Amino acid sequence: MSHHHTSPGDRRIALVTGAAGGLGTAQVEALSDAGMQVVAHARMPSERLDALTRRAGAIPAVRDLSDPEAARSLVQDAVRTAGRLDVLVANHATMSMSALADADPGEWWRVVRTNLLGTFALTQEAVRAMRAHGDGGRIIIISSEWGVIGWPNASAYAASKAGLISLVKCLGRELAPEGILVNAIAPGVIDTPQLQVDADDAGVDLQEMHERYADGIPLGRVGRATEIAEAVQFLADPALAAMAGQTLQINGGSTRGRV
Amino acid sequence: MRAVIVTGSAGGMGRAIVGRLQRRGLRVAGFDRTASPEADHSEIIDLTDPAGTAAAVSRASAALGPIDGFVSAAGHYVSTPFTDVTDADAALMLDVHLGAFFRVSQALLPGMMERKTGSIVAVASELAVGGGERDSHYAAAKGAVLGAVRSLAAEVAPAGIRVNGVAPGPTDTPMLPADSPWREPNYLRDLPTRALASPDDVARCVEFLICSGAFTTGETLHPNSGAVI
Repeated sequence: MSHHHTSPGDRRIALVTGAAGGLGTAQVEALSDAGMQVVAHARMPSERLDALTRRAGAIPAVRDLSDPEAARSLVQDAVRTAGRLDVLVANHATMSMSALADADPGEWWRVVRTNLLGTFALTQEAVRAMRAHGDGGRIIIISSEWGVIGWPNASAYAASKAGLISLVKCLGRELAPEGILVNAIAPGVIDTPQLQVDADDAGVDLQEMHERYADGIPLGRVGRATEIAEAVQFLADPALAAMAGQTLQINGGSTRGRV
Repeated sequence: MRAVIVTGSAGGMGRAIVGRLQRRGLRVAGFDRTASPEADHSEIIDLTDPAGTAAAVSRASAALGPIDGFVSAAGHYVSTPFTDVTDADAALMLDVHLGAFFRVSQALLPGMMERKTGSIVAVASELAVGGGERDSHYAAAKGAVLGAVRSLAAEVAPAGIRVNGVAPGPTDTPMLPADSPWREPNYLRDLPTRALASPDDVARCVEFLICSGAFTTGETLHPNSGAVI
């Protein structure tokens, strides 16, 4: 099957959501390094997004993905601007922690709507765009270790991330016949600005937070954003043709759970 | 990392793995029952022979210097109805897959522990995960390898050594005969990607785990055409 080749000289186009976050920034840089034109999405304009798009030659796009319609228009505008879409990296996420007994249903749904329904809408539009050129594509959905093993006080986030794994399994089966390969990555604890948020929540300094997390990770450290980005680059490669519906767990060996 | 041992290096998958690792600048010692012409150092050995395997690892280290990578890709496949599998069949199947993985890993680990670096990749099979009719002893041996991968990963992670698996689906190599049920149109039609995995698909996964993937350990990659999801 000749599903995954653009003609020589064509630049492949990738859309990365949540690009101003720690993971997203590294993904934009990795795909850019691999020769792709990247559209870099963020929830709001920022100096960080500007610096990234300048550095990686990426096209910025700002949307609030808690609105599925915004997710659709993000993909449509990206295709209009860049000309086509070959790779979608659904990396954006929102998180809020709460004991189940205290969880506010509105907040629960905001998390699920942004992470799961937002990705559903992005993916649906991306598939339409990939079908339009007929060369197949690669969709990489960033789940989470917590979506595999669960986590106390993270029910909304973990449920949304587990939902993404199931979405990937379905779409892996559903879309592989047309050369659109869908896979997930479930990162463990990664060194991003989120760790400072976690440290503040726990009332400890950043160094202490690193050590607490590292204690539970066999490799003895938290991960680096580049270590997720290189997996995104690996899965985005059109030459990798036999991987579909799978979840790569990149967590320093900490998971004792099943996908 | 500068040097890697690849077992099964003369086979279809093994040759693709050797090529990809060499393109990343690694020197490869190929271990197989026949010569591995592409490898930087070739050992013709029987991996079920413990003394011979240990001696081959020593010679490879002497030839290529410290060896911090190991890809266990040697395989032996026979399809047998469960009730026909003899003790000898089962023992051989375990020895070729699990035994060889243990022996070469055990020979290399002291050096890796000393240097605080290393990456081990075991090629298993989607049959280890999904099972298959008349595949009980093969699937059991490959499943045992995946259990060993997860356990060894936990054991040597503190020393900075990573251990992972690759569980390919049916792959388009000479080991898969022309009349294999996995080449039948009916089977391929049911496969999500509609095609067998290629040796290069498997080699790319190995390359990722050996040359990148520094935070990936205890994991298995599944280039199986969607056969097991």
